[in-house]
Amino acid sequence: MNQVASVATSAPANSITASALRRHTLWDAVLKHGTRSAAITVLLLLGGVIATLVQGSWLSLSTFGPEFLTTEKWNPVSEEFGALAPIYGTLLTSLIAMLIGIPISIGIAIFLTELCPPRLKRSISTAIELLAGIPSIIYGIWGLFVLAPFLQAHVQPVLIEVFAGVPVLGTMFAGPPYGIGIFTAGIILSIMVLPYITSVTRDVFETVPPTLKESAYALGCTTWEVVRKIVLPFTSTGVIGGIMLGLGRALGETMAVTFVIGNAHKIAGSILAPGTTISASIANEFTEAETALYTSSLISLGLLLFLITFTVLAIARLLLLRLQRQAGK
Amino acid sequence: MQNFDMSRYKRRRRVSSLLMIGSWFAAITGLAILGLILFTLFWRGVGGLNLAVFTESTPPPGAAGGLLNAIYGSVMMTVLGTALGTPLGILAGTWMAEYGRNSRLATTIRFINDILLSAPSIVIGLFVYEVMVVTMGHFSAWAGGCALALLVLPVVVRTTEDMLLLVPDGLREAASALGSPRWMVISRVCYRAAKAGMITGVLLAVARVTGETAPLLFTALNNQFMSTDMNAPMANLPVVIFQFALSPYPEWQQLAWTAALLITVTVLILNIVARALSSSRIKKD
Amino acid sequence: MNESAPMSVGTQRPHLQPRDPMANRAALTEKISVRDVRFYYGDFLALKGISMPIYDKKVTALIGPSGCGKSTLLRIFNRMYDLYPKQRAEGEILFEGNNLLDPKQDLNLLRARVGMVFQKPTPFPMSIYDNIAFGIRLYERVPKSELDDRVETALKRGALWDEVKDKLNQSGLGLSGGQQQRLCIARSIAVRPDVLLLDEPTSALDPIATAKVEELIYQLKSDYTICIVTHNMQQAARVADFTAFMYLGELIEFGETSQVFTKPKQPKTEDYITGRFG
Repeated sequence: MNQVASVATSAPANSITASALRRHTLWDAVLKHGTRSAAITVLLLLGGVIATLVQGSWLSLSTFGPEFLTTEKWNPVSEEFGALAPIYGTLLTSLIAMLIGIPISIGIAIFLTELCPPRLKRSISTAIELLAGIPSIIYGIWGLFVLAPFLQAHVQPVLIEVFAGVPVLGTMFAGPPYGIGIFTAGIILSIMVLPYITSVTRDVFETVPPTLKESAYALGCTTWEVVRKIVLPFTSTGVIGGIMLGLGRALGETMAVTFVIGNAHKIAGSILAPGTTISASIANEFTEAETALYTSSLISLGLLLFLITFTVLAIARLLLLRLQRQAGK
Repeated sequence: MQNFDMSRYKRRRRVSSLLMIGSWFAAITGLAILGLILFTLFWRGVGGLNLAVFTESTPPPGAAGGLLNAIYGSVMMTVLGTALGTPLGILAGTWMAEYGRNSRLATTIRFINDILLSAPSIVIGLFVYEVMVVTMGHFSAWAGGCALALLVLPVVVRTTEDMLLLVPDGLREAASALGSPRWMVISRVCYRAAKAGMITGVLLAVARVTGETAPLLFTALNNQFMSTDMNAPMANLPVVIFQFALSPYPEWQQLAWTAALLITVTVLILNIVARALSSSRIKKD
Repeated sequence: MNESAPMSVGTQRPHLQPRDPMANRAALTEKISVRDVRFYYGDFLALKGISMPIYDKKVTALIGPSGCGKSTLLRIFNRMYDLYPKQRAEGEILFEGNNLLDPKQDLNLLRARVGMVFQKPTPFPMSIYDNIAFGIRLYERVPKSELDDRVETALKRGALWDEVKDKLNQSGLGLSGGQQQRLCIARSIAVRPDVLLLDEPTSALDPIATAKVEELIYQLKSDYTICIVTHNMQQAARVADFTAFMYLGELIEFGETSQVFTKPKQPKTEDYITGRFG
């Protein structure tokens, strides 16, 4: 930049005035350093989130040590805290959500790419993408007032009766039907992740080259065989990436779960029983936590949740990134 | 030379039709449930929609009232969050697309930004609680707005960077070749080319924070009364929904549904506008 | 690629000399009879009433300028267009006496009997072995040892065996373009179809790979009825027994290749093959 300025001053005949040049030099520096500081601020802020979580959970982690992860007891009165029940609840609700959500999402994606009349395709795709934007609290209030009473009255009694006496399944579906609980939370989560997984899966299904599908049809494959043997293997990384993205959402989801989980810090044998998840514990108890150790234990839960979702999302990103590279070749 | 095993073929065909029926079924079930949620929301929400909702504050238990203080609080904190998060995000995104590109610093920021983009929002609430609420000694609308700003930030950084990277380098070179300084290339050429996409990003970020509940629970808390003091706890729609829906009072539950309807309609409108903007951009290209 | 020193195209292959198809004229039977076929893309009429025979165990070439409907016609023979909405065919195409345009026609069975190879090689993302075994397993329950034999036979018929026999478990995507295309041909014939449709099978290949594929087409003629779309007139002249010249959705001329290329009856055909347009 200095060089440019000296050229201009040595050639005053040029219509570029020195003041204009100075102004440009100044603005160039302002913009460059301004944006750079903004970028570094982002880094510091976001890095600060992680540092703060670690610092906030220090008291609880140093008090309980690794046993924090393996203790079920959660007693604010005697100040004994263990994360096992929320971890169990988080993993189990997400597992249920995935078991229900994945087949339905992939089914919808297959429907959209292979079966759907083109006129409907656009509107259904748009509807699903819009639904992905609906705040989770809406799913929560619907789960509390509509889904939980329905399950309590019509589904859970049937499950309890059908599986009564069957080993394992009998315990899993032991009564009474509370309505709210791990099972209901899992179902609400499965509905919530539906739009995410569906839209990613549909997008990657569309990346399969038409000639590849045509070649399979040309050999006499049925639609299912084309999906099973060509589309799914071709897109497997992308589909798994989409599933992990949905799983990340399910693990970290707070409000939809808090409404219907029942907030009970215990691990029951039955999945119909109330339980809790990491995020629901924080949402329900944080403002009531009086002592430093209680608060710190809840922040430890937050750190734990952050680490779990981070792992899952990092895997998802790596997989989707690898897919992009493949497509780029 | 044809020696097809017809029974095998018939079984394959049966399997295929069965699974295709299953796929139809999945699509119908999924869409029906999602439709049912929206339908319930409108059905129960519209019933409570009246003038009082917009003119009165949240009532004490068992009484009638409105959502004025919560609507005001939500708007204020969303505006604050957007006002804080957007400029910072656009500047940072600009640096990454125009200056940083593949430098180590840019790669690190991109990575951290991606983590925050999908981190559970309740974790952001914990952070702001530790940094602002504990330091200030009380809950406040400032803290709520800052929590929302932290949710807006990664979305804006990401879309700004993506949109600027879509601007072809040829355009930058052409502008520079005319003798424009870097700052004019960026502000007059690149921003103009990426404008629609960047606005879409901001709208999507606003839509995202409009319904956010978890980070407000322990930053802005709630306030039963009308308050314009940014330094005090402030009511907001999501937390009102949370508290009122879980209450035993029918009036409160009704207000929760109405608040849910208001939020959903706002979010849907923002999303539709954002989509329309980005699709009009694609058409123009 | 394992291809040896470049061979001069045309000199080593005696069959590429003009042949006399009249010699066994008596043996001709129609494998596929196209009768007044019209084809629509939405409202656009792409084929305006085509009628022609496809003879059994002969190579028929469809030539014509881009957009004349030659690929469209080829894709009707295995009803590939059925995958896409708004595309429909009218008229009658008899395949061994049955109208294959009949809505009740079972498409998977039809496609197993009418194989197709595409312009760009389309190996499936799996091993070379599995690419071939894929189609066989669809219709037949074959013990492992027999499957091995079938794969080997198909690869030999596809003139690819010597080049891949040591790497059957490697991905089909790792082969060169010409090898991939021969893999696709081998994959099609492994299903033992009656008819083989080739849609510009060499347009993405270099001259040497093209020569190998043409050689292969000639060898396959003894067992299969082949229909090939090509934009390369020399290729049609080299490999085809019969040639159909199409222009703007109409069949201008159909006849024995030597006749079409040396004494075309229609002035349009003559213009095209002498390079005056297209």
